[in-house]
Amino acid sequence: MPPLKIRVTRDIKARHGVLQNEIARRAYLYVARNQALPPQIRHQAQLQLNTFGRYTRPTTVKNRCADSGRGRGILSEFALCRFQFRLRALAGEIPGVKKASW
Amino acid sequence: MSSVLPSRLAKLNQLRCSIFQTVYNPTGIRTGAKYLRARLRGPSMVKYYPPVLDFAKVMRQYPDLELVDEDEEQRLQDVEDKKKRGKGAPKKAKTKGEGRRQQRRK
Repeated sequence: MPPLKIRVTRDIKARHGVLQNEIARRAYLYVARNQALPPQIRHQAQLQLNTFGRYTRPTTVKNRCADSGRGRGILSEFALCRFQFRLRALAGEIPGVKKASW
Repeated sequence: MSSVLPSRLAKLNQLRCSIFQTVYNPTGIRTGAKYLRARLRGPSMVKYYPPVLDFAKVMRQYPDLELVDEDEEQRLQDVEDKKKRGKGAPKKAKTKGEGRRQQRRK
């Protein structure tokens, strides 16, 4: 079993942070973006939004390769980068995937 | 085709909204409803990576099995060996002026 890459670990942390803070963030977003509410309240909500940490924003989350930790060239369905995907597909470890030839 | 007064059209829209239970918002003001309407993304985000067996966690859960983490043992052994050769971690400063870098500056 290879050790977890630090960036993958960080990404997992971000994912859990998003899960835990999502509802509160949505509520503040609703107040802050609602033009029918008084500006002072909207501003307060925006300030509250800014107090959330880095690992609570959904945009911090990035799909990475579960095997190599690579951030680019990911096939999200398999959570693998293109090279690891190729290696595993050729080894027959991914069900339903085979090399095309015609 | 006869022209219809805008105020009449607005009345019609208002009535339509009350009948079909939609929000009457003639000026297109932003209500922030889309943030409440959108699905929560957290639950599916957490499921992205396949679960990994955490050996340290298993060891902590079943202390009576007396499992041995070989990688960890090896690491501790390596640290011991390094210390014997005088390659261990430097001593930490207890007070502020005691740091190695601070002393060198004098």
